[in-house]
Amino acid sequence: MPYHLFKCSQCIPEREKHAVIKGPGEDLSMALPLGYLNTIPGSISERGCAYCGAKHVIGTPMKDVIHLSHGPVGCTYDTWQTKRYISDNDNFQLKYTFASDMKEKHIVFGAERLLKDNIKEAFKAFPGIKRMTIYQTCASALIGDDINAIAAEIMEDMPEVDIFVCNSPGFGGPSQSGGHHKINIAWINQKVGTVEPEITSDYVINYVGEYNIQGDQEVMQDYFKRMGIQVLSTFTGNGSYDDLRAMHRAHLNVLECARSAEYICNELRVRYGIPRLDIDGFGFEPLSSSLRKIGLFFGIEDRAQAIIDEETAKWKPELDWYKERLKGKKVCLWPGGSKLWHWAHAIHAEMGVDVVSVYTKFGHQGDMEKGISRCEEGALAIDDPNELEGLEAMETLKPDCIFTGKRPGEVAKKIRVPYLNAHAYHNGPWKGFEGWVRFARDIYNAIYSPVHQLSLVDIRTDEAIGDAGFATRKSFSDANLPEEVKNSETLREYTGKYSIIPDLQAKTHPEFARREPEPAAV
Amino acid sequence: MSCELAEKGRSGVINPIFTCQPCGAQYASIGIKDCIGIVHGGQGCVMFVRLLFSQHFKESFEIASSSVHEDGAVFGALNRVEAAVDVLLMRYPDVKVVPIISTCCTEVIGDDIDGVVRKLNAGLLKEKFAGREVHLIPVHTPSFVGSMVTGYDVAVRDFVTHFAKKSVPNGKVNIFTGWANPGDVTAIKWILGEMGIEATVLFEIESFDAPVMPSGNTVAHGETTIEDLRGTANAVASIVLNRYEGAKAAAYLEDEFGVPAIICPSPIGIRNTDILVKKLKKLTGKAIPDSVAIKRGIALDALADLTHMFFAEKRVAIYGNPDLVIGLAEFCLDLEMKPVLLLLGDDNAGYAKDPRIKYLLENAGYDIEIVRNADLFVLEDRIKNSGLALDLILGHSKGRFTSIDYGIPMLRVGFPVYDRAGMHRHPVVGYDGAIWLAEQMANTLFTDMEYKKNKEWVLNVW
Repeated sequence: MPYHLFKCSQCIPEREKHAVIKGPGEDLSMALPLGYLNTIPGSISERGCAYCGAKHVIGTPMKDVIHLSHGPVGCTYDTWQTKRYISDNDNFQLKYTFASDMKEKHIVFGAERLLKDNIKEAFKAFPGIKRMTIYQTCASALIGDDINAIAAEIMEDMPEVDIFVCNSPGFGGPSQSGGHHKINIAWINQKVGTVEPEITSDYVINYVGEYNIQGDQEVMQDYFKRMGIQVLSTFTGNGSYDDLRAMHRAHLNVLECARSAEYICNELRVRYGIPRLDIDGFGFEPLSSSLRKIGLFFGIEDRAQAIIDEETAKWKPELDWYKERLKGKKVCLWPGGSKLWHWAHAIHAEMGVDVVSVYTKFGHQGDMEKGISRCEEGALAIDDPNELEGLEAMETLKPDCIFTGKRPGEVAKKIRVPYLNAHAYHNGPWKGFEGWVRFARDIYNAIYSPVHQLSLVDIRTDEAIGDAGFATRKSFSDANLPEEVKNSETLREYTGKYSIIPDLQAKTHPEFARREPEPAAV
Repeated sequence: MSCELAEKGRSGVINPIFTCQPCGAQYASIGIKDCIGIVHGGQGCVMFVRLLFSQHFKESFEIASSSVHEDGAVFGALNRVEAAVDVLLMRYPDVKVVPIISTCCTEVIGDDIDGVVRKLNAGLLKEKFAGREVHLIPVHTPSFVGSMVTGYDVAVRDFVTHFAKKSVPNGKVNIFTGWANPGDVTAIKWILGEMGIEATVLFEIESFDAPVMPSGNTVAHGETTIEDLRGTANAVASIVLNRYEGAKAAAYLEDEFGVPAIICPSPIGIRNTDILVKKLKKLTGKAIPDSVAIKRGIALDALADLTHMFFAEKRVAIYGNPDLVIGLAEFCLDLEMKPVLLLLGDDNAGYAKDPRIKYLLENAGYDIEIVRNADLFVLEDRIKNSGLALDLILGHSKGRFTSIDYGIPMLRVGFPVYDRAGMHRHPVVGYDGAIWLAEQMANTLFTDMEYKKNKEWVLNVW
């Protein structure tokens, strides 16, 4: 067994089975760490809680909703303005957050009355919003407030509003993943099937497990619309509450982040017979094959292929410009859950980087299975990493760049490893063909930053700095490139704008004629 | 004319100004050297607070969690604290101070963190870590009481209570800075240094600004030592710069060891800094040197360029930590501005009795509203629904969208600031802070004038 016990974790030997090195010739049966088990207290793990998994990750990207947490103010405050899930309604969900502000007296005497007052106040403060989600927290769960009953009372008093309740207290499970599960199931139990949508296309999908980070959803929606597909709902990025109540009418669930949202897809299949198709918006090849699969399902492969051809022709020369310059660079792929397998193979194949390590904070063994099978031989895979293990891994592996969260990124900075924000992105969106080039561009900018190069110099002893007044990224990246690559007339640097979403929002899409309805059987 | 201290008139919170108590305790803990706190509760209570600190400082700080899961919430989770202490001490050999910080979750289930500390002291520490100096300090910070401000106050008191030990007088002054930035500590220490006053600064956080070095790893952490904390009992006096963020500890030292507690107005602006300097002189008998008078003069010179030309009559809303809000309001008045709305983000009953608030309400001479237990929606509501006209907002980053959406220029000040670069390096206190604040307020207004083409040509000849 190629388990890897970190030096810093020798005193907690149970950690040994949470890290593996994918050795030469080894397959998954020999290299799979344990996953999704309780955290070791005091290990300084990077995991969050089940409340944030429900409210912060999945609930809040819904855009036309008052998101209210029933508890003390901290849960709400802490999970507010730390994400980049934008929306096309002026980011209401990013700007406003609501807490019932439970105090000591409520802990003692109950806070149901407080919650009821809160709900009314919130709707009064925003008369244009008629939808609400309420999230339980540790405190409201432990005192046993019946949030569902309060929501039902309000809906009876105020028939114009609709309220969804998610009971997912912070202590519910080893990590945020517990909350993902709970909100998936709560949504299908409470809300799916309560609205009948208008169907405008012969091809209708739910886009599931997509959170519109820096506009990802809008990029992908553009492709779907160009194929004449109606996106009935998005679960949940840029998603609308009422659209998501109508999920039962889709012909196909197109699933992006299987870690956080496969549960609702599986339930939609069981309850409504809607098939699930796992897709991948990251990487030219995975995205192309995803669009082809969707096209194949509906019998419109030609439409998919037209998009693939057009986008590839436009963006491939730019992707390849970066690939030439990123070849052989070592990266640690350290995201939260699904990106370790979304990216592992694609960044190697299409950007030329070597993935020397993958980790997951809240992924399950299934995520590791996919991630490890897609990363390079010799890669170190870590489940539920902690502060010291992360440092030890970086010091041993000496990566050129790591993809992780904001705070661990600060740790990397101090040992002179540039980081890119794997959750919120640097200059995204990173989905779509153009987005993938933006990702490559961001990696290039990080690795070849002249300032980063300076951080490796010891001014006290090194002569390496020379007398030049400046350096450029290219002076580092192109130093050893063959002339024909350096002077290539086909390859080029990224040519897109700083912000690409406004143009997408303003775009009109082609109308496709509907099929004639089949004559009713006589 | 109406000047009042009001409540917000809603039971819930829309866009909170503060987070909850455990964050304050964690903020205090990172100021201590060789200290890693264990937050006893769900993992989010730590993960998000660490994220918040890293957003503000662009640094990572080490804080652990006891990782309470369902079984702990049902059956009690003290075993998680025991495991956490053991794991933390094994893996971090330099750690000496371990506050056990409670949360709403573990306070509701009634976990006895004082009891588990006694048990660990008698058991694990003696058996497994014999000969190692380790201090386990229970800190009760239920999230449903107070706010991050009271959490900080409680934690500072608990650290001081744990360590303070009477021996021989050390001739030092205890300075409780309150919820400060590294830049504030530098500004205060400059004054102390120039006056030749030896002080114990709680907390020494200039090192939060950690460098990237060509080898090794520099982890951002505070520099206040156990010896510093012990010595607080032997000081000449304690000076509290923010009464809501350190006064409890100073009161303890006065009651227990007879160290006089002096509550200063937060030294924001010239006048309040003058008060601090005079109190220091009176307390220590040290003269106020030329360098301090010159710095004061440089500050006055800078303010004279700005105040009646640009600041007069400008209407300001201020929110954030109470001492900061009050200090900024007082400074604004000296600058001929009109603070018209002050938002205090928790339900502290003490605000009504605060002499500074009383004085403001009685003597400001124009309409001023101070809202207790406020949220950021109060600010938006007054702008949107009550026609409150504002020229400037002073507050932390969580209110950024009010500034953006209503086109009101805003200077980022307080905690957290994550949407402007490097603000933690600059002081708001002392004469240096007066210069920085006034000039940044001016530049914020100037940028807005240009952006809106509002008499932007005035600046041609300034």
